Amino acid sequence: MNEEIHQRALRLIDKMQVEGLTDGEREELEAHLESCARCQEQARRTELALRAFRAAAPRFDSLLVFRTRMQVRVRAHEITESAARLRALWISCTLSWVLGVVSAPLMWRGFEWIGHRLALSRVVWITGFALAWVAPAVVAAAFIAWRQAERAVSSR
Amino acid sequence: MNAVEQEAEELTGGLRRRDPTLIDYLIEQYRYRLFRYLLMLTGQRHEAEDLFQETWIRVLEKGHQYKQRWKFETWFFSIARHLAIDYRRRRQPESLDTLLQPMDGGRPLEVEDTASLSAFEQAFQGEEAVRVATALAHLPAAYREVLTLRFQEDLELEEIARVVDSPLSTVKSRLYRGLAMLREWLKDT
Repeated sequence: MNEEIHQRALRLIDKMQVEGLTDGEREELEAHLESCARCQEQARRTELALRAFRAAAPRFDSLLVFRTRMQVRVRAHEITESAARLRALWISCTLSWVLGVVSAPLMWRGFEWIGHRLALSRVVWITGFALAWVAPAVVAAAFIAWRQAERAVSSR
Repeated sequence: MNAVEQEAEELTGGLRRRDPTLIDYLIEQYRYRLFRYLLMLTGQRHEAEDLFQETWIRVLEKGHQYKQRWKFETWFFSIARHLAIDYRRRRQPESLDTLLQPMDGGRPLEVEDTASLSAFEQAFQGEEAVRVATALAHLPAAYREVLTLRFQEDLELEEIARVVDSPLSTVKSRLYRGLAMLREWLKDT
C-alpha cells in the first residue's frame, strides 16, 4: 500500500479526535482501517492514550472550597463597604461643587472688598479668589490619589 | 424564555449583583474542573490552589463583565489563565522573557512551564497515576492546557481559542502536537 495513504489515515485518526471528520473522511478512514493493521494499532493507541488522559483525576482538597468561600465572602463585604464609601464621596463632591458655584459671587465680593481695604492690585486678589475656590477640589483629588496609590501598594 | 435562557439570565444577574450565594454555588459546581485546569496549566499543586482562590475572587469582582454569548466556563477559564500569567510575573519577574517567548506562532504570553514529575505524581490518584503523571510532566504547559480544555472539558475549538487568546490555527496545531506527544508517552497503556 502506498505510504501516502497511511500518512493520510494517520492524519485522519488525529483529526477525528481533534476536529471531527466529515462523513466522507470517516468512510475513507474506516475502509482503510479494515485492511491496515498498522493504522489500526495507531488508532487504538490514540484511543487508549486519550482514555488514560481523561481518567486522570487530581486529588482535591475539600478545605480549599471552604477557604475560598470565606475569602469570597470577605471580599464581597469589602466591595459593598467600598461602594458605600464611594457613593458618600460622590454625594459630598456634588454638594461641594453646587455650594462652590452658589457661593462664588459672594466669595468674589468678599475678595474684592479685602483687595480694596488692603489696597492690593486686582491680579493679587483675583489670584487669591481662584486659589480659594479650587483649593478644596485640589485637596480632595490629592487625598483620593494618595489613597489609591496606598491601596495599589498594599494589594501587591 | 426557556429554562436554559432563564438559567443564563439568573447567572448574569447574580454575577452583576455580586451575589455571594451564587458564587458559592458556582464554586461547588465548577471546583473540580477549575482546579484540574489550573493544575494542568501550572504543574504546581500549591500554585493551582492559590490561583483557585484568586479566580473566584476575580469572578466576584469582574462578574458584571460576563457576557452570555460565551459559556461561563470559557469566561472563567480565561480569567484563571490571565491570573496564572500574572502570578508568575509577580513571583518570578526575572522570568518575564520566558513568559514572552512566542510558541508556534501563537500569542506570546504563556505560562512558564515549571511542571515537575513529582508535582503531578502527588496530584493524581488512581492506578495509572504515575504513567499519566510522567506523560504530563513531559508535555509543555501550552499543550497540556489545550489537551485539557479539549479532551477533559470538551470545549469547542473556538472556545479554546478564546480561552487561550490565540488563533484557531494555533490551537489546532497545539492539539495535534500535544496529542502526538501524549500518545508517545502513553503508548504502552
